[in-house]
Amino acid sequence: MRVGEHISVIASFGRPYRIRPVRFRWSGQILEVREITYAWKTKQGINDVYHFSVSDGTTMYELAFDTGSLNWRLESLEA
Amino acid sequence: MPRVIICVDIDAFFASVEQQANPALRGKPVCIIGSGGRTVITTSSYEARKYGIKTGMNIREAKKILPSIIFVIGDNEKYTHTCREMEKIYARFTPDLEIYSIDEAFLDITTTHHLFGGPEAIGTAIKKSVKEMFGINCTVGIGPNILIAKLASDISKPDGLRQVRSQEADALLRDLPVKELWGIGPKTAQRLASLRIKTCGELGRAPASFLRDKFGIHGETLKKMGMGIWERPLQTIPEDAKSVGHSMTLPRDIHEREEIEAYLLLLSEMIGRRARKHRYMGKKISLTIRYSDFETFSRQTTLPRITNDTHGIFQASLNILNSIRLRDKVRLLGVCLSCLIRDPLQIPLITEDRKRSAVLHAVDTINDRYGDFRIIWGSYLKHKRHSGVISPSWKPSGVKNVHVK
Repeated sequence: MRVGEHISVIASFGRPYRIRPVRFRWSGQILEVREITYAWKTKQGINDVYHFSVSDGTTMYELAFDTGSLNWRLESLEA
Repeated sequence: MPRVIICVDIDAFFASVEQQANPALRGKPVCIIGSGGRTVITTSSYEARKYGIKTGMNIREAKKILPSIIFVIGDNEKYTHTCREMEKIYARFTPDLEIYSIDEAFLDITTTHHLFGGPEAIGTAIKKSVKEMFGINCTVGIGPNILIAKLASDISKPDGLRQVRSQEADALLRDLPVKELWGIGPKTAQRLASLRIKTCGELGRAPASFLRDKFGIHGETLKKMGMGIWERPLQTIPEDAKSVGHSMTLPRDIHEREEIEAYLLLLSEMIGRRARKHRYMGKKISLTIRYSDFETFSRQTTLPRITNDTHGIFQASLNILNSIRLRDKVRLLGVCLSCLIRDPLQIPLITEDRKRSAVLHAVDTINDRYGDFRIIWGSYLKHKRHSGVISPSWKPSGVKNVHVK
């Protein structure tokens, strides 16, 4: 399901490709990232956008971090 | 020094990526499809292949074979990113590498394999890195040339690693059906069969004059292929483009002129933008039309001067369209710019041309800054763009690096 909402995320930042979302707030809940199953990078104009397929143990979410705006978005979810 | 070539082939690439990204898909028959209404299967997982579900089948055919099949709309950006990252893994072992397609690469490790413990050690290291970084499997074939390396990979799939040395190639090819050989398609295999040549061994033993007589200049190449000889070097530097083109299967068959024109404008913009980005201009425009009954034809025109102007390409393709009496609804449209010149020195002399060039430059700059299609032609506004399909010739860089969402 497409969501496309800005969200708040706690993440750890390391080397490139070592950005790791740890937990995020969505729909009044705080969700723990239990597993990052895939990560990839896209371009939005000149900005890099890092995408993460993550699981909280029950649902798969796609999170995206835009390095230009420094915003996190919840792109989609799949129960 | 005998050449050592590695072929890396990612197993069921798109399907493997989706299965890795979504654990609920792992171990299940999965097909990757496009987002358009009339899409076909671009990749199927090995679980789906067991049932005979293959690339190119439509959704209905696949469902008929296996009603529980899972369809996943492909995410091209995920795959192109993965391909680019894999290129970095390959580059650890040799600078001489060719990304042949999005899921296949060739590495010439002739002069470097001794630094890493030999060809098989490199193959094992690549497989391990790909698995660690992406969680997916690849098959590695090693041989004295591209042909044998590719064959070694093909016969070891999935998740295999095999080296075929020069002295082993003869025995491997002796009874191998010609259709198994990379570069021999069904039609050539059929023609060879009609000449009683069914195995690579028979092809290699056939007289060169006989094959030349039947296949022209290609006959000698075929004989060499049968003998496991392939002299093509790796294409480590992207070659100059011969043409820049795009085609699209439309969401539905259409006959309304206005709609066809809108799609032609979109295709012209995609071509013009790509040509401008890579500093190409072309003189020949061709238009390809496929009717709803799949009859396909192309018409072309030569322009009085070279261009990469969207409007110039559009106008030329429109002129071709106007010269055709469409007998049916249109299913597919394609536009291509060819007779290319790179970095032409001619600057626009006419004020009108200079103004148009400045507008295009401004639009391109904005789209570069904020993303493709941020500024588009008004007449295309009401049409929804759907994601395209990655071309088999997609490359991580150069003019064949087409951005597909």
